Amino acid sequence: MPRDSERPRHTGRLLRLGALLAGIAVALSFPSMAPSPYELTVGIAILNFAVLSTSWNFVGGFTGYISLGHGAFAGLGAYATGLLVTKGELPSFVALFVSAALVAVLAIPVGYAALRVRGASFVIVSIALVLIMLLVFQSWASFTGGSRGLVVPRPFPGKLRSEHHEIFYFLFLGLLALALLAWWIIDRSRFGMGLKAIREDEDKAQSLGTPTYTYKLVVFVVSAAFTALAGGLYGLWFGDLDPVFQFSILSGAYMVLMALLGGVRHLYGPLLGAVVVGYGLEYSKLEYGDTPLHLVFAGLLLGVVVMFMPDGVIPAVTGLVARVLGTGETSIREVTAAELRDERDEREADVRPDHRPDGKRPDGKREVRQ
Amino acid sequence: MSADEGEQSLATVGLTKTFGGVAALDGATVSFRHGRVNALIGPNGSGKTTFFNCVTGMIRPDAGRTTYRGRDITARPPHRIARAGIGRSFQLCRVFPRMTVLDNLLVAVRPPNLLAQLAGARKREETERARYWLTRMGIDHLERAEARNLSWGQQKLLELAGVLMSEPELILLDEPAGGVNPALIDRICDLVRELNAEGRTFLIVEHNMDLVMSLSDHVVVFDRGRPIAEGPPSVIQSDERVLEAYLGV
Ligand SMILES: Nc1ncnc2c1ncn2[C@@H]1O[C@H](COP(=O)(O)OP(=O)(O)OP(=O)(O)O)[C@@H](O)[C@H]1O
Ligand SMILES: [Mg+2]
Repeated sequence: MPRDSERPRHTGRLLRLGALLAGIAVALSFPSMAPSPYELTVGIAILNFAVLSTSWNFVGGFTGYISLGHGAFAGLGAYATGLLVTKGELPSFVALFVSAALVAVLAIPVGYAALRVRGASFVIVSIALVLIMLLVFQSWASFTGGSRGLVVPRPFPGKLRSEHHEIFYFLFLGLLALALLAWWIIDRSRFGMGLKAIREDEDKAQSLGTPTYTYKLVVFVVSAAFTALAGGLYGLWFGDLDPVFQFSILSGAYMVLMALLGGVRHLYGPLLGAVVVGYGLEYSKLEYGDTPLHLVFAGLLLGVVVMFMPDGVIPAVTGLVARVLGTGETSIREVTAAELRDERDEREADVRPDHRPDGKRPDGKREVRQ
Repeated sequence: MSADEGEQSLATVGLTKTFGGVAALDGATVSFRHGRVNALIGPNGSGKTTFFNCVTGMIRPDAGRTTYRGRDITARPPHRIARAGIGRSFQLCRVFPRMTVLDNLLVAVRPPNLLAQLAGARKREETERARYWLTRMGIDHLERAEARNLSWGQQKLLELAGVLMSEPELILLDEPAGGVNPALIDRICDLVRELNAEGRTFLIVEHNMDLVMSLSDHVVVFDRGRPIAEGPPSVIQSDERVLEAYLGV
């Protein structure tokens, strides 16, 4: 049946490679093309979002567990980095990696507890994590600076402001590349296959021998570590931390929105979502100042995505392109559907009434899903 | 595997599970022999599926023990029971709907060590093994289709292929003929016979009595969460208590 021979697949691969190279070229040349340091900071903010939502997607995309609490890991990464620099007097980038390791260790008991529950309960537990962190960091003022904030010294004190931005732009870009690489490796691995099976049907995966609990926990820790790296790098760049912003449910919600918008099943889904939402956020800040209008936009966008593009932009667009070109996934599906019809027609003739394909018994009782 | 034919395969002692006052399993003590096609029958709600769920670790029993080939597996998590050699299907067939047919089977591959977890999931050797099972089920032409696009019967075959991919010695099937047309029922029966001849033990829950009587070597009858009769199909067919349990409810 796969009449879509080697040719379209080959073309698809070339197209993807071309797009990747073009994307890299644009990303690398952006700082030199940016008209002012302001545009550069927008670029950094978007990259930061992209790393965060890609990190979130290790859990959300692979396993389907929706965490609204990932803001806590970003905040912890930022604070741990800041505190290790100010109180521990570690070099900035040593502090960054040490804090990511600390957050990873902390994520083990958190994941251990949170991943026992599925669905809505998991979402609630993840929210609780952020609120607890917010309380701790606000009230433990003697150590964290409380709501007065924590000033993180710059890693490159001698540099100009624009140079500082440019360095951080590339640091964020490197971190994004690292996160994408890790996601890609897992995506094509046996580990990733098991994680995706969890997303589809966790009990079934377990019955086939997948140690689902361990798998979830490992990917949760990886996700937390990357989130913490993004948070820590942000702390070093921005230089001023406030618990209200660091431990907000909103930041976790944005990670979810971006990933859903682009498509959680795709490597570049969260990145694409981050570009769209991140740009939108910066634009609305510029146009409308500090009004909560951007929240309305974000809410509307979430509604549109969930209702009309439940799989995100990437599948919606590739599906459209494939239909126009007459290649790709949709054609496989159509062929299959046609085959199924044929096969069913063949069999239809001798289906006895007591073997109904809808799972109903002849006595009209419906089987209960166990 | 014929050497240990007749040896004890799966066995339970006093297996009990209540759901809010309803005793789904009520001290069920049964044992099944290796190398046979065993059948588990009983009226609706007699605890057959709950029995499967308890012995595969998907549900914790309130009391009782389960052993497999002499080893206690009662408190083990489902994936370890699967790795011990017990595979199962679900009453309402369960596949991974948004994975391809081929990937559905590759989920069942067991990486030999930690590093192998990060190796590519679509290695040639494993893909070939998956294709072998798909071919035996007669659905190899669908390997690139998403599982959700398959017909009900094809999904049942896919589920069976996935279970076989996990290399079980004992296969628990929960109503393999449920909602399936007669031609496919025959095919499934043939497959079970072949796989049994190759050394796999079966435990089949089924309401289709023709299938049970023609396929099985040994039948256990459940009523209200415990066995009320057992024996070869010919004896079970004419057992008073069985007729009563089936007709009386
Ligand atoms: N998860 C559950 N929660 C509550 N009650 C349950 C649950 N699972 C099973 N039961 C109850 O336990 C009893 C046994 O159910 P079970 O599904 O094991 O029966 P069965 O023999 O498989 O029936 P059938 O032939 O209809 O599939 C029933 O009364 C059922 O309602
Ligand atoms: Mg049942």
